[in-house]
Amino acid sequence: MEKTKYAPPVTGSYILKNIRLETGFIMDETGAKETRTELFCIEVSEGKITKIFTNNASLPGAIDAKGYLMLPAFSDMHVHLDKTLYSLPWQAHSPKKRSILDMIAYEQEIIPELLKTSTERAGLLIDLMQGYGTTFARTHFNVDTTSGLRSLENLQKALDNKKGSFSAELVAFPQHGCFYTDSAPLLKEAAQLDSVAFIGGVDPFGIDRNIEKVLDFTVELALDNNKGIDIHLHDGGKEGLCTIEYLAEQALKNPSLQGRTYVSHAFVLASLPSNELERIAEKLAAAKVGIVSSIPFGKLVMPVPALAKHGVNVLAGSDNIQDHWSTFGTGNMLQKANLIADLYGWRTEFDLSRTLRFATHNVLPLDNEGNMQWPKVNDSAEFVLVDASCSAEAISRISPTMAFAHQARLHWKEAERDAALGKFE
Amino acid sequence: MNRSILSRKEFIRNSAWALAGATLIPGMLFADEREEHAGLNSLNVNNTGKSFTLKNVRLETGFDYEDGDVVATKTGIFSVEIANGKIKKVSTGQPHADAIDVKGMLMLPSFRDMHIHLDKTFYGDKWQAVRRRTGGVKGMIALEQEILPEMLKNSTYKAEKLIELLQSKGTSFARSHVNIEPTSKLDSLRHLQKALDNKKKGFGAELVAFPQHGVFYTNTAPYLKEAAQAGVDFIGGVDPFTVDGAIEKTMDFTIQLALDHHKGIDIHLHETGESGLKTVEYLISKVNENPVLKGKTYLSHCFVLGKLDQAKQEEMAEKLGAAQIGINSTIPFGGLIMPIPMLMKHQVKVMTGNDSIVDHWNTFGTGSVLYKANMAAQLYGHNTEFGLSRMLGLATAGPLPLDDKGQQQWPKAGDAADFVLVDASCSAEAVSRLSPVKSLIYQGTVVF
Ligand SMILES: [Zn+2]
Ligand SMILES: [Zn+2]
Repeated sequence: MEKTKYAPPVTGSYILKNIRLETGFIMDETGAKETRTELFCIEVSEGKITKIFTNNASLPGAIDAKGYLMLPAFSDMHVHLDKTLYSLPWQAHSPKKRSILDMIAYEQEIIPELLKTSTERAGLLIDLMQGYGTTFARTHFNVDTTSGLRSLENLQKALDNKKGSFSAELVAFPQHGCFYTDSAPLLKEAAQLDSVAFIGGVDPFGIDRNIEKVLDFTVELALDNNKGIDIHLHDGGKEGLCTIEYLAEQALKNPSLQGRTYVSHAFVLASLPSNELERIAEKLAAAKVGIVSSIPFGKLVMPVPALAKHGVNVLAGSDNIQDHWSTFGTGNMLQKANLIADLYGWRTEFDLSRTLRFATHNVLPLDNEGNMQWPKVNDSAEFVLVDASCSAEAISRISPTMAFAHQARLHWKEAERDAALGKFE
Repeated sequence: MNRSILSRKEFIRNSAWALAGATLIPGMLFADEREEHAGLNSLNVNNTGKSFTLKNVRLETGFDYEDGDVVATKTGIFSVEIANGKIKKVSTGQPHADAIDVKGMLMLPSFRDMHIHLDKTFYGDKWQAVRRRTGGVKGMIALEQEILPEMLKNSTYKAEKLIELLQSKGTSFARSHVNIEPTSKLDSLRHLQKALDNKKKGFGAELVAFPQHGVFYTNTAPYLKEAAQAGVDFIGGVDPFTVDGAIEKTMDFTIQLALDHHKGIDIHLHETGESGLKTVEYLISKVNENPVLKGKTYLSHCFVLGKLDQAKQEEMAEKLGAAQIGINSTIPFGGLIMPIPMLMKHQVKVMTGNDSIVDHWNTFGTGSVLYKANMAAQLYGHNTEFGLSRMLGLATAGPLPLDDKGQQQWPKAGDAADFVLVDASCSAEAVSRLSPVKSLIYQGTVVF
């Protein structure tokens, strides 16, 4: 994983020329065989895309996007920015077999030390992700009796340092249980903060041994404070299933939770017979409860295609990038989308192009019929420029990011900047 | 990895260091110091056939244990002398004044891609996705008959581009299959040989004459015979039952050709049913009859092994191990998982390769075999220091700096000077974090 540097951003109003946009599919009897693209000029002003017009390669004062493909900004929908070993000396996963409860004890031991430098490391992890064009994350942060709210405070400092180039929505994550350790009061405190968008959780059965008690507490906290919910669920078997169903029922009863309630991992769904899976998928879709997955690809494979088919909102994220849980995260959402395409056999131009949504939090340049739907005038200027001819290529070849705009602030990779801006300045 | 936010002093003071279980290595160099180093080329080394010395080279020297488990890899800083394409000396002493400082970069055996099709790629050409097709392998043969004449027109150029991609990922050697069939005749081979000749200072290859369109399904046998005398190292094959309709006839032809010309064998076998198993068993029996083929006979893919029950897998692994037949796998995941750890347990030589990089079969190849090792580590749960360090062997097609007991076994004086310099602290980190390859040296020549 190579580190990359961005030049100071271009801010204010600007026009980009030679921007490649997808404009349609070229069809034959087997379906979409190619993606049609054309070059455009795009005007950005006051944080928005204000004009999209026919390319003028000799437009004076315009920034040259050199034919790079413009794609919706990349979002990592499950990550732990607050708790990483990234940038510390290498340490492999421990050979000791540790249960989830052992891991809690281990965290209680290491967290005080990790917190001393967690702001710096969160910043470096964000640098890594930005190198791959990610400018938004849903990050869980530990709320537990060891960390208190310090993991949040340190993370917020890191996010403040990245203001203008990276944003996040925060999930208050009781990694050590709500009641197994006495984290409930801390969660209540966190839930009152504006900066917190979701109430998290983890294995209500596996850790707190009481599904209803934990979920009732979580749901009430979300409702009282007008937050979403995103709980980690590794529990399998009937307890895992019961957790999902109970949460879906709560969302059905409380419409304000719909569209902002998520189950992360939800491994139990991988082991259901297809009729049972179908029933659950329909229930999740009706309750507008989403699934967030890091896309495991070994013995356990998530039924992402079946969930998506039934209208369940499936999001993807890195989860661990380099920490005491796992050391394999790349931080690259195009790589994650590539893995998804490879794993589920989405290899054609059309299928690859659809897979992009896992990197872009569901935003796609073309709809399923090939109509252009992004970008549009008045869209906020959140995008990446990649060295690819179309999104299918970007997914399959994991094309490099050359620049990104976050809140309209345009960041070029250092090596690219002069060529792009030469005439602009 | 980027560690530049912390200065060396702060870093050592940082108590999280000790917490992370890391040993403080004397002379450890930091990312911010290493970053100035941009490959050996920047130092104007142009030394084909000449000698040079690298200093501040990080080499693995052993494992650290805790309660009997490997918890870390010990490394030390060395000078490495290279002369006449070989490693002449590895020492801890004071290096020459003109030694090149590689600033603590980790030296690993260079990577080898042991299953790839350098002759037949879209790489370097316009993007095109795989199309939905019907007709199975035979449909693909018909497709190839249609598109190969066009693809051959610039196949030397594309092969060179592909070789450059592999080099950039630390690979300096490949086993490449080359299409031999009535459409390409020997042109795919000749075009690739030209590319390899152009790239020979920085890249080596062994070639497999690959009858992609069957030995008899299309009349390829005469071309294979010709290819066997035209600079190939292996006789290839593909799904004898599915394509040619007969296992024994095709296998007998292949084996005889290999024996007559003192070649190895490397056969693509995708068949998962009874015919797949029969093909494996037939090959084992033939290799046992002709021991000269032991150690140079391979099955590529061999998906059928992933479909067998565990007892049968064990039995086949044992037989393959005894016959010294190797397995070449792209490490598939999802639908089918190969029993690679079990094969390794039975001393079957398992190697990996990208197969397709971007072509009409598949467009997902990264060109990196370190990535293959990383995927294998994830797939098989080899996530500890020891497990990760062993997976490096998939990227190098064998050589590992440390043996299983932690004894240093590479590099040694007299070894070929084929190595990479990687921005990592040990091979476990390189595998898990896909650490960037900063330099590639092939037979003593600095590629970059
Ligand atoms: Zn998580
Ligand atoms: Zn192949």
